[in-house]
Amino acid sequence: MRTLLATGWARTLAGQLFAIAIALALGSVIILLIDESPVRVFVTLMRGAFGDSEKIAGTLLQTTPILICGIAACIGLRGGMFNVGIEGQLFLGGFAAAWVGFAFSLPPVLHVLAAMALAVVAGAAWVAIPAFFRVRFGTNEVVSTILANYIATLLTSYFTIFLFKRPGGWSETPPILESAYLPELFSFSRLNLGLLIGLALAIVTAAFFRWTSAGYAVTMVGSAPKFAEYGGIDVRRVGFGVLLVSGAVGGLAGGVETLGVHHRFMEGFAPGFGFDGLIAALLANGSPVGTIFTALFFGALRAGSLLLEVDTTASREIITVIQALIILAVSADLIMRRRGDRTGERRWKF
Amino acid sequence: MDLAVDLSGITKRFGAFTANSGIDLAVRRGEIHAIIGENGAGKTTLMNILFGLLQPDEGTIAIGGKTMIVDSPAVAIGQGLGMVHQHFKLVPSLTVADNIFLGMEIRRNGLIDRAAQEERTRSLSEKFRLRVDPRERVAGLSVGMEQRIEILKVLARNARTIILDEPTAVLTPQESRDLFRTLRSFVDDGMTVIFISHHLEEVMAVSDTVTVLRDGRVVATKPKSALSKRELVRLMVGRDVSFDRRPRGQTNGKVALEVEDLWVRDDRQLAALKSVSLSVRAGEIVGIAGVAGNGQTELAEVLSGLRPASHGRARLHGQDILDLPPAAIRAGGLAHVPGDRMVRGVDRTASLSANMLIGRHRRAPFARAGVIDWSAVHGEMWTLIRRFDIRARGPEDPARSLSGGNIQKVVLAREFTAGGDVLLIDQPTRGVDIGAQEGIHDEIMRQRAEGRAILLISTQLDELKALADRILIMFDGRIMGAVDGAAMDEDAIGLMMAGVDPADMTEA
Amino acid sequence: MEVLGNLFNIALLVATIRTTTPILLVALGGSFTTKAGIFNIGLEGQMLIAAFFAVVGSIYTGSSLGGLLIGVSAALLFALIYAVLVVSFRANEVVVGLALNILAGGMTISLLKAIFGTRGSVVGRGIVGLPKVQIPGARDVMGSSAQLISGFTPLVYVAFLAVPLLILVYNRTQLGLYIRVVGEKPEAAEALGISIARIRYGASMLCGLFAGLAGAHMSLGYITMFTENMSSGRGFMAVAILIFSAGDPLKVLAGCLLFGFADAFSLRLQSFGFPSYLVLAVPYSVALVALFALSWRGRPKRLRETAETIRRALSVHPADAGRDAPASRS
Repeated sequence: MRTLLATGWARTLAGQLFAIAIALALGSVIILLIDESPVRVFVTLMRGAFGDSEKIAGTLLQTTPILICGIAACIGLRGGMFNVGIEGQLFLGGFAAAWVGFAFSLPPVLHVLAAMALAVVAGAAWVAIPAFFRVRFGTNEVVSTILANYIATLLTSYFTIFLFKRPGGWSETPPILESAYLPELFSFSRLNLGLLIGLALAIVTAAFFRWTSAGYAVTMVGSAPKFAEYGGIDVRRVGFGVLLVSGAVGGLAGGVETLGVHHRFMEGFAPGFGFDGLIAALLANGSPVGTIFTALFFGALRAGSLLLEVDTTASREIITVIQALIILAVSADLIMRRRGDRTGERRWKF
Repeated sequence: MDLAVDLSGITKRFGAFTANSGIDLAVRRGEIHAIIGENGAGKTTLMNILFGLLQPDEGTIAIGGKTMIVDSPAVAIGQGLGMVHQHFKLVPSLTVADNIFLGMEIRRNGLIDRAAQEERTRSLSEKFRLRVDPRERVAGLSVGMEQRIEILKVLARNARTIILDEPTAVLTPQESRDLFRTLRSFVDDGMTVIFISHHLEEVMAVSDTVTVLRDGRVVATKPKSALSKRELVRLMVGRDVSFDRRPRGQTNGKVALEVEDLWVRDDRQLAALKSVSLSVRAGEIVGIAGVAGNGQTELAEVLSGLRPASHGRARLHGQDILDLPPAAIRAGGLAHVPGDRMVRGVDRTASLSANMLIGRHRRAPFARAGVIDWSAVHGEMWTLIRRFDIRARGPEDPARSLSGGNIQKVVLAREFTAGGDVLLIDQPTRGVDIGAQEGIHDEIMRQRAEGRAILLISTQLDELKALADRILIMFDGRIMGAVDGAAMDEDAIGLMMAGVDPADMTEA
Repeated sequence: MEVLGNLFNIALLVATIRTTTPILLVALGGSFTTKAGIFNIGLEGQMLIAAFFAVVGSIYTGSSLGGLLIGVSAALLFALIYAVLVVSFRANEVVVGLALNILAGGMTISLLKAIFGTRGSVVGRGIVGLPKVQIPGARDVMGSSAQLISGFTPLVYVAFLAVPLLILVYNRTQLGLYIRVVGEKPEAAEALGISIARIRYGASMLCGLFAGLAGAHMSLGYITMFTENMSSGRGFMAVAILIFSAGDPLKVLAGCLLFGFADAFSLRLQSFGFPSYLVLAVPYSVALVALFALSWRGRPKRLRETAETIRRALSVHPADAGRDAPASRS
């Protein structure tokens, strides 16, 4: 992911914009195939995302979890770790925060902090075992964290429906107490402090990688592990730490979503935000500041897609198709070419 | 004249760089023709053109008297050419016979006919007196055996002209001698051998004709009998190079690094070091000689904390270091110039500054309270660029934009200024052209004069002869013996490199 | 009781064979890419897109064979895109694989709405399932155990017969040999004029073929319907199996039987009243635990060193072995 530093951000930006253009063109073809007008789809998306201040707030509301998950992914990518398990960490963090929110009664600020703390711990704990096996035995973290996602989703559903179901409710926990609510920013929207948390996190993460010794160590481990080891950096400890922090931020995203938006945990509570975050981070080439913009882009797509089902015949999942096409187009570009020699022998460590 | 291969006017450019420039090469049938030159002189490019792996920009190729376009290895092979690459291309999980017939499998009813392949391997092996077991798996075979299989692979394709690229780099002197005997027998059977090397001794030992390349041009083609070693060096380098011993003062510093009965395993869990003991004093250069792959890399790795020891002791200034992590050993005063510089020595995608920073990224003046002062880092890198004459535009250049020699200078600059008083230097001049080698040798001598204790690992005897106070010879993970650098007996070293115990030498 | 217990066992075995089939098919497909040195995380998406188009094809052509062909073609198209990006453009395998999985998910849902006007799933509407193969005489010879070998859909037989076939391919055919060489030592292939790219394309397309069969089996086999994300992680479990089997057909079979059994067993548990969410998590947990356990086996140094030392001590050169094996630090 260090290619960003090596190739210059202007070149990167140009490459990504080009990729987005290609993806939108391909997306249009698919939209035509399902007998809908691409123009109408894109116009509807734009209207749904930026039509009025309420819509813009809605976009930012969708942006928040994508941004925080994106930062989680950036942290992993910089340290050479593919944390595909952010989705699972998000779910567990969301549930943990909800549990603190409804099961305990605490003073306002403290309540939020306690709930967030447990969300963070839950996210980190969920990635701890795959992280341990990754650094100790080289177990591929992509597969282990993906499998862990399925378990996390089922486990939180089990908690919600069998252990903590709201009496009379339907697959959701009791609501959290108001003392655990994240403050809202505007009266007309559920948009809340979470957005500012995400922005602050992006800037802190960027500064961490740019200016701190620890950030330097992580970057070296990610881009040249043998070199880092030789230079006296404990590669395993850094790798473990990177995944743990990435998982913690994933948990935080869940906490923000629970305390800021839903005020309870429910089945299927934030589907796909973890993956969207990963895609946003990849599109930003692992740059936390870049992720602010890519997350906003994906947040707008998501918010816009809500209107899509009302105003067009297309399904809102068409935006997932567009996101996937963007990543495919980006991956084909020089910028994301994998390191390695001509035969491309970066063999995966199993 | 009966020419096996006739290249004329071959020119090959890569962008602005001209790798081969108007090269003429005529190889007579039935001779061993050596092509010698420094790294980067264009030997490999030329052979790749002959073998169809690259296309020349200008010039013609004639094989067996016929001028032709060789646009793929298949064409070259069809004309009776065979190439034994420097890095063997055998598949470890397959058997010897499978490897030999890979790409030209004998098939029956669409399935590979194992028995027939093994039978033909056996008959080839007998015909050319290259003994192999056709059913053995290649994994775990010795390097000499692997080379034998590579040669059989070429012979199985009916090659009459065999090109060998740096064939002895990985062989013991004994294995090299066997190889030369085999090559001589090929020539006696009327075959032709083209032999690429940068190793003077063996070129003098085995070839009939020598072509010297320098900077992509042919500087001479002469019968070997008309050449002396010193003349060859002058042709290769373009001037007289002194491999003479560097003048030096007396050494009687304190023992800085001490190793006792050290045993280490390699990646395959086999013993790579067997009861190694040595000591290095301050102001002394101790050289480690040996054919690559006899435990030298493992020795460097275990001493710098990158590899666990299974048994033994190593002390740095009296402090046990075997259980310490690399960072603690660095802090204890050991600097390490790794042999595998592209993987261990640098992060090629990172800037020179970021490369310089490693190991000192938590220390003042480069970092305070965990925050890096990049202007101090860039400033120091500028200083090093000037002091070590590194050819770069500035500290923010990515390392990969530099040449191999300059990358090595970055590594040396970093390690020599790291504050360590024990220097572990593995292959300081591998892949570095001769002009730059002298500068590196100067710097190593300067470090010695400043009282550093230096353990110098090199596969190049010339280098050790010039620099080392004492030379230890390693073979198969053991130290076979030691010789004084000032009065070094190359024959004795050669025998020890091949595993002959010095105690047995008088009888031999 | 004795009889009942026996029946229960056979029923569980039959269920295991059924649940093993899709994951075995997709894992055998992945075996080609694994052996060719490609880490293919996109199996899930290939399976899903094939399941969807098998249903569409079956409705459109009115035949299960037509459905099968169209489903497999969709998977092949995905495999081709994967190969173009990974082999020709040298894109990152994980990124491309994940993106194709996401694409398959989004596309099937979008098309579901566009074609059938529904969300969630499509049932009935003239989907033709795969026929069941009755082996003549099986019932007479084996009695009730006949259901172990007879009465499955054709793809079940294809899956299990493919195991010996793949062993033959890898060991005795040129293509199989080249796939192994390209994965194990690409520079050897290159030096001999074997096109690495062509072999990797081939491996990827073979992978798409098998993943397509797996997908078709999911939607046209024992249940004839398509549901959103119905592959539900089987492609990822297959990748887990491929990691610890290194693509070896026999080990792939062993791993798939384990998961097939876990799947069948968890369904059984559900009928005993265990919470369905926990039961559904069983196969994923088995995959994860197996992944961890087998990578742990790969490493513990002290254990392996000891085993190696003993092995060497027992091998050809007793004199050498003594010298090579120092007592490890106690």
